[in-house]
Amino acid sequence: MGRINSKFLVIAFSVLMLIYFVIFPMGVLLYDSIIYNGSINFENYRNVYSQDVNWRALTNTINLSLLVMVASVIITFPLAWLVGRTDMPGKKTYRTLLVSSYMIPPYVGAIAWVQLLNPSVGYMNNIFKVLFGLEQAPFDIYTMGGLAWVLTLFYSPFAFITISRAMEKMDPTLEEAARVSGASPLRTLLDVTLPLMAPSIFAGGLLVFIAAGSCFGIPAIVGMPGNIEVMTTRIVTYIYMGDVDGVRDATALAASLMFLANFLLFFMTWVVGRKDYTTISGKSTRPNIVELGKWKWPAFCAVGAYSMISVIIPLGSIVLTSLIKSMSKPITLDNLGFDAWIPVISSSQYMESIWNSVVYAVIAATIGTLLSLFVAYLAVKTHVKGRSIPDLLTVIGGSTPSIVIALALVVTFSGNFGLNLYSTMWILVVSYLVKYMTMSVRTIAASLSQVHISLEEAALNSGANWLRCCKDIIMPLIAPSIIAGWFLIFMPSFYELTMSLLLYGSDTKTIGVLLYELQTYADTQNASVLSVIILAIVLIGNLILNKLSKGNVGI
Amino acid sequence: MSEVRIEHVYKRFGKVTAVNDFDLVVKDGEFVSILGPSGCGKTTTLRMIAGFERATEGEIYIGDACVSSSVQGSFTPPEKRDIGMVFQSYAVWPHMTVEENVAYPLKIQKVPKEERMKRVQEMLELVHLGEYGKRYPHQLSGGQQQRVALARALVAQPGLLLLDEPLSNLDAKLRESMRFEILSIQKKLGITVVYVTHDQSEAMAMSDRVVVMSKGVVQQIGAPHEIYTTPANKMVADFIGLVNFMDGEVKGDRVFIKGTDISFANSADVSGEAVIAVRPENITMSLSGGLIKGVLEHRFYLGDAVDYRIKVGDHDVRVIEKGADLHKFKDGDTVYLDFEQVMIFARD
Repeated sequence: MGRINSKFLVIAFSVLMLIYFVIFPMGVLLYDSIIYNGSINFENYRNVYSQDVNWRALTNTINLSLLVMVASVIITFPLAWLVGRTDMPGKKTYRTLLVSSYMIPPYVGAIAWVQLLNPSVGYMNNIFKVLFGLEQAPFDIYTMGGLAWVLTLFYSPFAFITISRAMEKMDPTLEEAARVSGASPLRTLLDVTLPLMAPSIFAGGLLVFIAAGSCFGIPAIVGMPGNIEVMTTRIVTYIYMGDVDGVRDATALAASLMFLANFLLFFMTWVVGRKDYTTISGKSTRPNIVELGKWKWPAFCAVGAYSMISVIIPLGSIVLTSLIKSMSKPITLDNLGFDAWIPVISSSQYMESIWNSVVYAVIAATIGTLLSLFVAYLAVKTHVKGRSIPDLLTVIGGSTPSIVIALALVVTFSGNFGLNLYSTMWILVVSYLVKYMTMSVRTIAASLSQVHISLEEAALNSGANWLRCCKDIIMPLIAPSIIAGWFLIFMPSFYELTMSLLLYGSDTKTIGVLLYELQTYADTQNASVLSVIILAIVLIGNLILNKLSKGNVGI
Repeated sequence: MSEVRIEHVYKRFGKVTAVNDFDLVVKDGEFVSILGPSGCGKTTTLRMIAGFERATEGEIYIGDACVSSSVQGSFTPPEKRDIGMVFQSYAVWPHMTVEENVAYPLKIQKVPKEERMKRVQEMLELVHLGEYGKRYPHQLSGGQQQRVALARALVAQPGLLLLDEPLSNLDAKLRESMRFEILSIQKKLGITVVYVTHDQSEAMAMSDRVVVMSKGVVQQIGAPHEIYTTPANKMVADFIGLVNFMDGEVKGDRVFIKGTDISFANSADVSGEAVIAVRPENITMSLSGGLIKGVLEHRFYLGDAVDYRIKVGDHDVRVIEKGADLHKFKDGDTVYLDFEQVMIFARD
């Protein structure tokens, strides 16, 4: 009886915590958005969308996200096929490269592309000018096209991961059956492969759509200088106005964005979950590798070129910029060195921000991992009614756009409802937990479900009590996933920008916020140095993560 | 219907030779099984006939057409080979109804809709799925899905039917009835069949001839009873049915069980080291007298038979007696064995 009660207490506690910090703020946000002059109506929405700039932001967001979604799927499908189903050389390296922009903070990517393609001094523009003898720069990053380009490069890994996973899971004999039925390879692709992959392609595309539409860092750095506004940048602009009206307008915009994202996500889950669409479990799945023949090396070069453009060149650009001694002089070996690093490393202001980020991320990761462990254990190992509700709540948190979470926390925990976290580090920690806990819950739940109940029963049979069994059997078996879960919260929290930008106070500035400020003050070089520091820390984190999970988990 | 000729076919994956000099003619309307342990190259051979793997060396003919030739460098893709194929995993397309699945080969051939539907219905009735045309695969059992796959493979009346372990995902009872069903459909249509399996009883029960493979090499080709009664070598004898092996020494024209003075005629003309093999059901055992003396160590009661373990010198000999009385012998008895149909093989 005592055990059931303690389980019940744990479930009640975690549900209450999650409701209080995840669902309640979103409810407050929604409520605020439909209150105008003390009564419930849609006046706020009417006000906001009657202004051209907001309406344009909405259409921009939808158009951009659609464009990025379509482009990502078109680029990703052949890439996933080449990497997953052919004998193209260098497949493994390419797979890592193609998903690695996943772990680069989006705003760092944006900074890199601004360095490469801004119309006045972009490295790549300059190279093109010299190569083709052009008068003017051929590309301008500060346009819709430029914004779509950067968003596509940074969010297509979502589609790549989803599509290539589905491709690997598909039974190759389904395609072979079409071939012996008389279908050509192209006909097989159209009649069998594509229809079977459609749900996954669709799901991957929607993930890209949601991510691109929720993104703040890239539109802020690439779009705003060219006066291209999207929903997220409008919301931040309104909040920065700092008055009641601004917050009210931001609330209406954020609620619209939240609806859009969550509606699409549930739609996606429904489509993928439909039974008649599930690809049958191939019982003998032998990798069916297509021989490319004479196309082997052209394919290798094409994927290589894409990897260069999407990952290596932008990163190289940032590293290069951080090493230039004088930005006004041409780039020669004499003009390279660590000169720009010294003021950054010796600046107490910079170091404090880095330290803040580390501390908040460590706190968030530690609390988050502990909570994830409860949530995952409840969902996977118990039969208590409502055991998966906490899990679902973390999923909702993770799928809500960062900007919406941040605004919801602002309106809820500024003292209106008893708890005032505003300007403290705790509001940052809470925001990280809400947004990133779901990843660690997934990881820990996956490895917990691998621990068969008989292993626990064998321990109990051998005379261990339940706690002893946890300590001796369960914990050692899932330890790698607990550490992995910790890093999965730590890393994105460490370089988080969007929520931190709305929630930081004068004493709680984080590295993301600092970097954003440097970039908007056009201090490209310090921004690059800081970016390299962030990238180095993220890279080390990922190496540890990879080692621990044997390549199964990574950001 | 088509004859299949496979001439000196090799398949190498890098340094590994998966199929080594495979040579076989499958006659028109014949049912031939390729049998062997997993990894022996049987599936690779079938996939070369189907056109999913390209032979490194050698020629393959289906009917009059040369579909794969390393000399001419020619290769016909699977869709142009006029074959039907059934896969181990069924490979029934989940996004199409049963009808659409079966109609697909005819749709590719642009058979007019009316005739197409008529032939699909005939085919579904042949596999006892006449009522299931509008269903989706996930609404069918494994056995029914397998029959959809069979109907789809046969609907276009191909000259050759390839089956890749089609029954191994079914439960034991269904497996036996499907054996019979496949065989009766094959006889009805008179189609040439190449059937890959690792299950010896399946191969024995269904085939006109069996090809036994091991480590990429064909060990023996023959009718089921030939393979069973006169296996070509130790591997075949061991893989098919149960067998007792004893080390033997060749002296003159006799082969002696090592360390004894019991000998048999050297029927295989082996020199030096030999292996003496005898199947458990070809040994008679008595308390009174016989060729070989041993001690009964243990009896296993199997219901329709008794399975004995007898210690003969250093060897453990297994004897199976159909319909035996469990109490005829008891553990520890001294017994005498007589071997019949003794097989002599070279040591490998």
